[in-house]
Amino acid sequence: MSAPATGVALRLKDVTVRFATERGAVTALDRVSLSIRSGGFLTLVGPSGCGKSTLLRVISDLIPPTSGEIEVLGETPARARAARQIGFVFQDASLLPWRTALQNVALPLEVGGRSRRASRDPRELISLVGLVGWEGAYPHELSGGMRQRVAIARALVDDPKLLLMDEPFGALDEITRDRLNVELLRIWERTGATIVFVTHSIYEAALLGQEVLLMATSPGRVRELVSVPLANPRAIEQRETPEFVEIAAHLRRVLETCG
Amino acid sequence: MTARALTSARLAKAQPNDEEAARLAYIASARAAARRRLLLPLGAILLILALWEVGVAYFHVRPFIAPAPSAVASVLYHKFGLLMSNLGPTAVEALIGFAFGNLLAILTATVFVHQRIAEEAFFPIAVMVHTIPVMAYAPILVLLLGNGLSAKVAIAAMICYFPTLVNMTRGLRAVSPQQMELMHILSASPAEIFFKLRLQCALPYLFSALKIAAATSVIGAIVGEWIGATTGIGALIIQATYNFDSPLLYATIVVGSVFSAAFFGVISWAEGRVLRWNVAETR
Repeated sequence: MSAPATGVALRLKDVTVRFATERGAVTALDRVSLSIRSGGFLTLVGPSGCGKSTLLRVISDLIPPTSGEIEVLGETPARARAARQIGFVFQDASLLPWRTALQNVALPLEVGGRSRRASRDPRELISLVGLVGWEGAYPHELSGGMRQRVAIARALVDDPKLLLMDEPFGALDEITRDRLNVELLRIWERTGATIVFVTHSIYEAALLGQEVLLMATSPGRVRELVSVPLANPRAIEQRETPEFVEIAAHLRRVLETCG
Repeated sequence: MTARALTSARLAKAQPNDEEAARLAYIASARAAARRRLLLPLGAILLILALWEVGVAYFHVRPFIAPAPSAVASVLYHKFGLLMSNLGPTAVEALIGFAFGNLLAILTATVFVHQRIAEEAFFPIAVMVHTIPVMAYAPILVLLLGNGLSAKVAIAAMICYFPTLVNMTRGLRAVSPQQMELMHILSASPAEIFFKLRLQCALPYLFSALKIAAATSVIGAIVGEWIGATTGIGALIIQATYNFDSPLLYATIVVGSVFSAAFFGVISWAEGRVLRWNVAETR
């Protein structure tokens, strides 16, 4: 059961996550509701501790919600995960250091065998992320940007409908980050996947997202959903346009009230 | 970075001579460094042996107090057959003990990682047993298992067990939370998580432990032979000591430690082959 192209890829209703800690219960997410249409690109921005990462982990069935409802492509997160509908890209690339780039991309095809769907050719994905010639390189031989490209290719090998990205470019230098932003937009257009992208950068959020979700801290909650009416396909130069500057300024003003 | 790497790859094609020259220069300097690492210790050993030889002759030290290196060398040459026939049993005991001790340690660590309760219950016992000196439990094992091969193997195995247990348990846990999250998102089974993630993570730790065990297993076998054995490096050490045959004693020690070093070398070589991906960290 897959959502139609114009349908809703992801729907959250009053999702609350509480953790028990030494200092008592902490509310990481407080009644978060949102929905993203199929093929959308949502960026999440907010101060540290606003529950951005927690939100991705609830959607991907890594942690259970304390209360509330989550629908991923019309199914529960657990079933969507089992059906390999969800791809996840971590902040550090989380590659397995004993595997070459190509073997890392192929990892999802070797584990959890019961849930195999139509998958893509790892070599084709290596070429999609621009790493032709590096298939046999080990992670320690790759730069930070290249490792993150491998991680993106790995997340795409099952052709997921939903791609969750947790500050994937946060540790990269600005030039590499710009380049990967542009490539991610190209990949998004080519694959048609729905992307939820967590970032600390207002500019990255506005450049990538069709919509930007601003989150506030303690407890983690939705502050505002801002749509970004920039022309598609996006280009780095659009950051210099008055529209972009205005959107970024608005995001910053709202974020100042989020901490 | 990609672009830079690709550019340099293109440059390599454009100017093969320059690149080739640089490559050769790099290899030459690496070889010189390797040669120095080999020759310097060798020179130091020769110097010490020469001083020792001169010292023994000059101060008229009697051979049973401290034999000259030349006397030891002569024994090594003339009693080579005797030394080798005694190395045989010791080597067999050390290798079998090494295999058993490490295998048992790896299995225990696997259980510990999957059953925390087992670790909490049994790890303190392992620590307590480990604090008993090998000289103290060796006679106990000989009494229990008799004066044959099994007692020496058991002593060698016991001496290997603990360092491997500690390292392997740590290694199997050295998985990052994100790697575990990745495996969960991929719906990996516990067996897949173990073989594709934990075991691979543990290999560098395991090899560190195996290198320690290579030397200690030989010590275990020798200590086992001190208690009533008639053959083996340990037995020969005891005999030579009682006979005041110091040149033979020294020669026996040399044979024992050369074997230990060779065993260590084999493990290091295997480590280099298996952990090629880990070179950045070990260098």
